[in-house]
Amino acid sequence: MNDDYLWDKTGQPDPQIQQLEEILGTLRYQPKPLAIPNLAVPRRRNYFPLLAIAATVLLAILAGGIWLRMRPRNEVPKQQAKIVEPAAPKPEEKPVKPKSAVNQPVLATNRIHGKRSASSVLRKREREEALMAKEQLMLALRVTTQKLHLVHTKTSPATQIKNQHRIG
Amino acid sequence: MKPLFQMNIRTALIAFLLVLAPVLSANAQDPRIQMGSLDHLAAKASQTVDVNIDERLMRIAAKVFSDKDEDEREVKKLVAGLKGVYVKSFEFESVGQYADTDVETIRTQLRAPGWTRLVNVTSKKEGMLEVYLLFNGDIVGGLAVLHTDDKELTVVNIVGPVDLDKLAKLEGQLGVPELGIESPKPKAKNDDEK
Repeated sequence: MNDDYLWDKTGQPDPQIQQLEEILGTLRYQPKPLAIPNLAVPRRRNYFPLLAIAATVLLAILAGGIWLRMRPRNEVPKQQAKIVEPAAPKPEEKPVKPKSAVNQPVLATNRIHGKRSASSVLRKREREEALMAKEQLMLALRVTTQKLHLVHTKTSPATQIKNQHRIG
Repeated sequence: MKPLFQMNIRTALIAFLLVLAPVLSANAQDPRIQMGSLDHLAAKASQTVDVNIDERLMRIAAKVFSDKDEDEREVKKLVAGLKGVYVKSFEFESVGQYADTDVETIRTQLRAPGWTRLVNVTSKKEGMLEVYLLFNGDIVGGLAVLHTDDKELTVVNIVGPVDLDKLAKLEGQLGVPELGIESPKPKAKNDDEK
């Protein structure tokens, strides 16, 4: 038996090998175009995590909005007291006017010095604001003490005894 | 898919609660009373006092208090630690100008945890007077006074550590002697009668 047949198909072939060749030959590679079966279903993308994140952010913004809406009433109050129909001006208030008059010459001198004038105007504004705040504060404390005094009067033993006498 | 769905919902809920929790806790013990709902009464009132002094204004005001004047020194001491003073007072010409709901909006806030009603005085002449204190532990964190009369509605709110003794001492020192303490209208009537 010549082994060359197995190597390069030369020489005498072995009948058994030939038989095997015939049997297995049906399974031999036959060149043909590759056919990809159209079975792959496109996978649906899961948007849920993104939606959850978006919802969380939205809720956070909403909560922040609610908080800001509630907060401004705390943080940005009106800074001026307003009194509708105030009482007649007290005669004591009149001497206040000369104070501003006293400040006027200072302003005039500051106009000459540009840098200093800005700071002095600022200081004047600050002082005006401070005085206004002080007035408001005094007014607020006045109202508060009035009310507290009224409570004190009503809850004092003397008043209670007086009321008991009235009832009696 | 189901566990993923549940996990995301849970994450979203936790995130939402984390965001909301500080908001809710911040408002739980707020010494500041919201009085904006009373603003509409200004149109009906014959006299309105509206004072809003925040911490910044308080600090500015403290600068102009004289240390030489004893009264002003006392006031300066009193307001030193305060964070705000807010007053809304409405006086009306006639009865029934404000609704119970107006007062209830204030009372609802004063029912919040932390607030304690210290005094409640009811009289025919003076109406109803309530004094509330906000306690942060043992420390007073705020004061609220609510005075409701037929023709008057006053809300006072002091934010910060209030010293009631000092406040009481101020009576008569702020240009409000005895005549300012009682309701002015009955006095005016008496004057007329005289």
